[in-house]
Amino acid sequence: MTIKILTIEDDERIRTAVRFALEDEGWSVLEAETGEQALEVFNSRTPDLVLVDIGLPGIDGFEVCRSLRGASDVPIIMVTARDDTHDVVAGLEAGADDYVTKPIAPKELSARIRALLRRVKPEDSTSSPRTVGDLEIIPEEGVVRKSGTEIHLTKTEFHLLCELSDQAGKVLSREHLLEEVWGYDYFGDGRLVDVHVRRLRTKVETDPAHPRHVVTVRGMGYKLQA
Amino acid sequence: MKTSGLLWRRLPLRTRVIGAFTLGAAIAALVLVVITYGLSRQSMLQQREESSQRQFFANARQVQSSLRAENPDLTQLLESLPSLSGSRSIVRTGDETWVSLSLTPNDVPAPLVMSAVEFPEAKTMRYRLDDEPVLAFGLQLRPSAASTFNEVAYFEVVPLAEVENTLESLALILLVGGALTVLVGVGIGLWASGGLLRPLTDISDAARSIAHGRFDTRLEEVKDPDLDALVTSFNEMAAAMETRITRDARFSSDVSHELRSPLMTLRASIEVVQHRREELSERTQQALDLLNDEVIRFENLVQDLLDLSRSDSGPMENDLVNIEELVKATLASADDRIKLEVSNSAQGGLVMGDKRRLAQVLDNLLRNAEKYGDGATRIVVTSTGTDIEIAVEDDGPGVAPSERELIFERFTRGAAARKRGTGDGAGLGLALVDEHARRHGGSAHVEGKEGQPGARFVVLLPKAGHR
Repeated sequence: MTIKILTIEDDERIRTAVRFALEDEGWSVLEAETGEQALEVFNSRTPDLVLVDIGLPGIDGFEVCRSLRGASDVPIIMVTARDDTHDVVAGLEAGADDYVTKPIAPKELSARIRALLRRVKPEDSTSSPRTVGDLEIIPEEGVVRKSGTEIHLTKTEFHLLCELSDQAGKVLSREHLLEEVWGYDYFGDGRLVDVHVRRLRTKVETDPAHPRHVVTVRGMGYKLQA
Repeated sequence: MKTSGLLWRRLPLRTRVIGAFTLGAAIAALVLVVITYGLSRQSMLQQREESSQRQFFANARQVQSSLRAENPDLTQLLESLPSLSGSRSIVRTGDETWVSLSLTPNDVPAPLVMSAVEFPEAKTMRYRLDDEPVLAFGLQLRPSAASTFNEVAYFEVVPLAEVENTLESLALILLVGGALTVLVGVGIGLWASGGLLRPLTDISDAARSIAHGRFDTRLEEVKDPDLDALVTSFNEMAAAMETRITRDARFSSDVSHELRSPLMTLRASIEVVQHRREELSERTQQALDLLNDEVIRFENLVQDLLDLSRSDSGPMENDLVNIEELVKATLASADDRIKLEVSNSAQGGLVMGDKRRLAQVLDNLLRNAEKYGDGATRIVVTSTGTDIEIAVEDDGPGVAPSERELIFERFTRGAAARKRGTGDGAGLGLALVDEHARRHGGSAHVEGKEGQPGARFVVLLPKAGHR
């Protein structure tokens, strides 16, 4: 079955050029011009991945991200013309899994899409279930329980938690996490890790303001502890 | 006078304020010491003189009355006279005849004897006897007709050593007091200059903060009406500057953003065509390559402009960046003929900053060496106390000393770059290197290589914790 990608972009020329480029990669492309239209298409066609332009008229990209994230785990890549901290962090907080900056070369965009789609596949079955404090992680089933209650994580958050729990108690650098979870090299954006850790904390920590499990080690990275 | 005035003015303000206070205190102390000492000395001596004189006259009257006797025993009389604070008496009864218990005629100075014998009034004289200060009185006495004496004079010598000692102690106390006053003056000078200079220190701190890119720095409001005007105008200036800088930065940022959308279409469309390259004639392929190269160049230019506008105003990510790792990661995607040398002291060296901007610094230096210096040959990372030094070397023609500063300016390229005529640089790469280095509290410059042709681009970055 061909993978369906929904591109949400108000600039028709960009939309068309991107569609051509993505179709050359063998994917089928759905298009939406506005946020409203995007939500409609999303509900009727259930794409495998969504590209959201942040600068949309009407419902803006952040809002679209939030709506999609509220309803599904679909991988979202945010496309932004500004890579200022403010926009990037706001987009990631809204639920995007990754971001790319205009003008991105279609080759790089495809690489990002592939990395994200790979992540969506189940973990390799060699990963055994593990328990860290009151957290129970079962990679094979994609299930996390906190004090026995199942909690819902997005694929990226889940992958991040698995990566941290693989070496529980050890400090993992942001570079390492970027490489393992997002498939970036040394120059990936550390803000991706920071925002996802923050989002992960709101779900796995009893008091996200004073995290006990996912701990920041200043200047070094993050570690998972009981 | 003029040169000393200039010298005074050349001293730091603080020194001058302290100096003025010290000088003032010293003058006040000196005047006070001199006047106090003078007055005390005068009044103490006068007191001693008056009391001695009263005693002298009393004694003189006793001697006078004893003279009524026909043959008075003067020695016995002298013994009976009260002696005030060690005063000693001598009576002259004739040219060569003197009666005394402890004095010799030579102990009384001749001028005193002469004037006492000749004039009826009491005479006083101050002199040194046996190296001690003394005060001597002399008075002519009138012997009775029956007396065997005809020229009688009575003298008393009063030692002043005690008074002198007291005066010496007083002088010492006054000198110590004066010295303390001067010290207090220095202290007040220090304190006052501190208070006086605090606003200036605050202003210079604020100015430095603004120079380091924190444009929202303002001075705190003060109550002092003298300082308020200064603070207000400083803050107005800072606000005007901030508005202007943000406006300029926003303009170039907006322009760059507007350029990004069409570039995205171009980039994607070109790639779609590249995908069908085989379907094109050779001539069309060449044209496509030209188009592709130019779009990439345009893209880099827009990115550089955007980075420059952001480096003017944008916030910086602050992470601990391991410079060795950064250089290795950058070199991983570069020419593998470039040698990397990391000194022992620089290994594991950390810089507080923005990883991507630091990577861009290195990238730009490598690109620069690629374009104008036949490619970088060596990267040397060393540690110099508080800084980490990254040097990118090439074997190219080098940079003329006259151009070494100029090439770090925006939109300027050195003679070597112009001669090459490749035209693919806008002259922003090194400007970005410079701006990024400065945003990290460091600096960038270029130098020649010792005894060899080629250039050595050096970036100095303060180590984490040394900024």
